[in-house]
Amino acid sequence: MGFSRKLTIRNYIVEGFLLLSSLLILLPVMIMIIGSFKTSAEVLDFSLKFPKKWMFSNYMTVFREGGIGRAFLNSVVITGISSVINIVASSAASFILARRETKFANTLYMYFFMGLIAPMSTITTIRIVQWMGFYGSVTSVILIYASLNTAFSVFLYSGFIKTIPKALDEVAFLEGAGVFSVFFRIVTPLILPVNATVAIMVFMSVWNDITIPLYFLTDSSTWTMPLSIYNFYGKFSRDWNLIFANLVLTSLPVFILYLFGQKYIVSGLTAGAVKG
Amino acid sequence: MKTTKQLYSYYLVLPALLIYSIFFVIPAFAGFYYSFTDWRMDRLTLEFIGWNNFRTIFSDKTLILALKNTLIFAVVTVLGKNLVGIALAVALNMKLRTRNLLRAIFYSPSILSILVIGIIFTPILRTEGTLNHVFDTLGLHSLSQAWLTNPNIVVFTIAMISIWQHAGFQMAIYLAGLQSISNEYYEAATIDGAGSWKKFTNITLPLLLPAININVMLTLIGGLKVFSEVFVLTGGGPGNASQVVGTIILRAFGEGNWGLGTAINTLLFVAVTIIAIPLLIFMRRKEVAE
Repeated sequence: MGFSRKLTIRNYIVEGFLLLSSLLILLPVMIMIIGSFKTSAEVLDFSLKFPKKWMFSNYMTVFREGGIGRAFLNSVVITGISSVINIVASSAASFILARRETKFANTLYMYFFMGLIAPMSTITTIRIVQWMGFYGSVTSVILIYASLNTAFSVFLYSGFIKTIPKALDEVAFLEGAGVFSVFFRIVTPLILPVNATVAIMVFMSVWNDITIPLYFLTDSSTWTMPLSIYNFYGKFSRDWNLIFANLVLTSLPVFILYLFGQKYIVSGLTAGAVKG
Repeated sequence: MKTTKQLYSYYLVLPALLIYSIFFVIPAFAGFYYSFTDWRMDRLTLEFIGWNNFRTIFSDKTLILALKNTLIFAVVTVLGKNLVGIALAVALNMKLRTRNLLRAIFYSPSILSILVIGIIFTPILRTEGTLNHVFDTLGLHSLSQAWLTNPNIVVFTIAMISIWQHAGFQMAIYLAGLQSISNEYYEAATIDGAGSWKKFTNITLPLLLPAININVMLTLIGGLKVFSEVFVLTGGGPGNASQVVGTIILRAFGEGNWGLGTAINTLLFVAVTIIAIPLLIFMRRKEVAE
């Protein structure tokens, strides 16, 4: 009795402390959200004070002057296509590598795995893209993202495909099915949850990234949302209310994805934690 | 008759292999070659110049500072993200009424772009900014700092922001690890009369090793590759006080010193590989031994 009461008190103390610490995360975000509804004079106190009048028009101004629509489309195209390429290519490769279980297949797996460790060599990648004749294009950025995320995806898919019994594909092979139809008809439906995990993880990392567009998108009309804020930040450096509204709009897509995709994010992280 | 192995045709590996090789592996190896040349943007020819680029790196004060800053950032963030991550995970694995909400709050900064976070923190961390204002109001004048403009602390400030953003991500991996530990161990330990701290060091930590392994690796590799945080918050300044390897490469690229930039990248490549691979092997062994 006394012991369990002591435990309850301890839980209250821990909870209180955590709630207090969560303010460290919430306050800066609140300053941004509240600030995005203030006038450009009010916002300069960067505080949690509510605005006298909520300026929803700030968001309209950002849409009109910030070129947000275009940047949003660029982001969707780049993020969407590179995720799809990455998912199809990595899951197909992982399927073969997980099933073959030969020394060569294992070496290939390690070859992919190295991509999780080694840093990208940006300047020479530019050289290769230039040599192939599409430097500065959206296509190059899509392929680079698909390539950069291959290691992580192969790692996740391989772990999962190993848990699917081989007997399933062997039966199909006996009935005369080819490797393509086994992969697309039998394995693909079974790995749909992993596809969701990979899609969300790749989508978030690509959406938020600024490094690749900075080096590879030379024309500002092809810039993604985060990079276009940078432009906006320079142009409207005195209107913090508009800057904050722009930040909120850029974060909204990933936030919505996070709300709906939490389950898949957690399962991806679990795979990482358990398999190490 | 084909054996079953041959039925799994390597054609399905080809697309991933090509994309990954062309845009990641080949540039990495080309980097080794170009590191030993005087490759420049404004010249078509290039000459082989041996170790000259590396000599330049180790005789240039800014470049040495960038290497030092990168190491400081990596060490501080590995410690910070993992200690805070484990503490949060252990606390949020307890039966608390608001734990799902708290988990979501602590995880949420890691889904935001570093550009968004950098811009939010700019007015907060200014010398006349919100944070110092709060300290002054609380009477803690001595804690007020020129967070982003004092050359002695700027790297630590950037590291703190990175910890602020990502500790929740590490927490999520540790939580997954904690949930895979069977409750029976704790029950048995309670019967044996072990206290909370003893349970933590004797059960939780050893069984959490796979998660610690992956988290230390992720944060260390991420820390050595740091670029965006510095680029957004200070651009390497004040002066060159917060330059890191990532920003120095961008600068060399911008100045047209492509051979030198590639050499710095090669150095990072070698350093990450030398640090990461033995650590990976060592931690795997330790895990099996436990």
